[in-house]
Amino acid sequence: MLRTNRFLLTLFVIFLLTFGAFYLHITNGSFDMSIWDVIKTLLRIDPNPKHDLVIFEFRLPRIVIAMLVGIGLGIAGTVMQGVTRNGLADPGILGINAGAGASIVLFLLLFQMKAKHITDGSWTSTMMMPLFGFVGGALAAALILIFSRKNGRMDMQRLILTGISINSGFGALSMYISLKMNPQDFEMAAVWMVGSIYNANWIFVLSMLPWIVILSVIIYRKSHLLDYFQLEEGTVTSLGISVEKEKIILILCSVGLISACVSVSGSIGFIGLMAPHIARSLVGLRHRLIMPVSAGVGMFLLIISDYISKTVFEPSELPVGIVVSIIGIPYFLYLLVKSKA
Amino acid sequence: MQNVIRMEDLSSGYEKNTIFENLNTSIQAGKITTIIGPNGCGKSTLLKTIGRILQQKSGKVYLQEQDMQLLSTKEIAKKIAILSQNPIAPSGLKVEELISYGRYPHRKNVGRLAAKDQEVIQWAMDITHTTAFRARDIEQLSGGQRQKVWLAMALAQETSILLLDEPTTYLDMAHQLEVLQIVQALNEEHQCTIVMVLHDINHAARFSHELIAMKDGTIVNQGSPSSILTNEVMRAVFQIDAKIMQDPETGTPICYSYDVIAERKEESNGSNKTRALAL
Repeated sequence: MLRTNRFLLTLFVIFLLTFGAFYLHITNGSFDMSIWDVIKTLLRIDPNPKHDLVIFEFRLPRIVIAMLVGIGLGIAGTVMQGVTRNGLADPGILGINAGAGASIVLFLLLFQMKAKHITDGSWTSTMMMPLFGFVGGALAAALILIFSRKNGRMDMQRLILTGISINSGFGALSMYISLKMNPQDFEMAAVWMVGSIYNANWIFVLSMLPWIVILSVIIYRKSHLLDYFQLEEGTVTSLGISVEKEKIILILCSVGLISACVSVSGSIGFIGLMAPHIARSLVGLRHRLIMPVSAGVGMFLLIISDYISKTVFEPSELPVGIVVSIIGIPYFLYLLVKSKA
Repeated sequence: MQNVIRMEDLSSGYEKNTIFENLNTSIQAGKITTIIGPNGCGKSTLLKTIGRILQQKSGKVYLQEQDMQLLSTKEIAKKIAILSQNPIAPSGLKVEELISYGRYPHRKNVGRLAAKDQEVIQWAMDITHTTAFRARDIEQLSGGQRQKVWLAMALAQETSILLLDEPTTYLDMAHQLEVLQIVQALNEEHQCTIVMVLHDINHAARFSHELIAMKDGTIVNQGSPSSILTNEVMRAVFQIDAKIMQDPETGTPICYSYDVIAERKEESNGSNKTRALAL
């Protein structure tokens, strides 16, 4: 009972925080609006075209994208940490982001899509991007799993090392491919690779929404298995769980989530690392509880980071990926020190 | 006598290393069978292969005359529970929660534990004397207490067959005995078939109905403790000169002293010399 109450209270607090971040994000910017203006615009009370433009074309899609990407990264990070039994595993550190990113850059180049299309949002290509990202992300995940195996089991030290090399390998590949683009596209691609959502639009929302919804549901339904995966593999097998099969399903689902996120926002690291840790310290060891909390924390972190990224150096903008890294790197180091002690 | 597990031309190992090849033997229902043998002889590998934790390279294991590779892993989990060597638990996990993991193969929904599950968990804690620390963190327990908790988790699986991989290693003498007595009670009161790996041959002889003596991936001998715990078999398996007598109370053979056989002594002297040279 106590645990359920704590869980609900945590979710409620996260909801309040997210709402606060939402409020800051939607009212502030190069053009400040009062909350009253925002409410009037949303409820269509004597609409003002200028307000409509700011809310519906710029701020709202951007916040919605931040929410979806935050949720996706929070869940994917929880799965990665749970499956590898390693608290430092993160889709960004393991190079899955980079894999998805490289194949999306390749997609843009091969199909002669001007990076401008990312902003314009040509329909089919935007909808195709997560799919293409999935191929690269899955390739990265497969490479990591193959190379980190030793004597038939996943070796944790090798996992992190393989991840780091895969990460820089795919990063270099993306850089190489993007250098083949014309200078204007290159600049766009460079900003996008660092992780940015300032050019969000509704087609992006539509392209990633089905991935996030479907895969989150599948992962949630399997999340209790992550509790068992914290024991060593022999014990899990003897309990009657098809370890390999279930782990591969979970990893593929989270690669799908990551790809959908990367295709829209570029590579945003550290959310997948921080959110599960914060969630665990709030609600304990059960992944059925960790999963939604981690999604919520990821959502909040990304909205507030994006708010910072758009306001702190006004009128110019910092890519949100950089803001997240500035918060994330000290946290990562803190976790390293703590895990040594 | 009915066989509950039968191995047919079974070969197994790790990656390219084959540990044993073409083993043929069987385990009797309702008995305690213990596998003994020197380090690296393949006894743990055999136990893991029987318990499908390790995939065999070839051959078959039959569980109640059904090919285990054709059974789903969940189905097997309702019949066989395995206690691994040095199992690990995430920090912060409570004893009762870990034991409840044993209910996995029987649970239908993932939410709340059914009344039947609670009952079995309580039974498992009673039998292993772990009820007193049900609410504690596993990390806070001593090695002996922890081993009993892991045993309780395996028991919560409610299986008729229990495989134990060195259940007494790293435990003090009192806890070793306690664990083996729990195992014995399970066998006598609940007709559990037990297969375990032990290093202590006196414990093996005292608590088992049947011993399997292995060396270099082959079964040297199999039979009752009095037919295995003999000077000849010990010489062949461990290369020791065992002095054996009968326990006046239980009538089981005990090895009260032993010496390493001369050739082996020389061999080890030789390796000491090379080590000295290397240093």
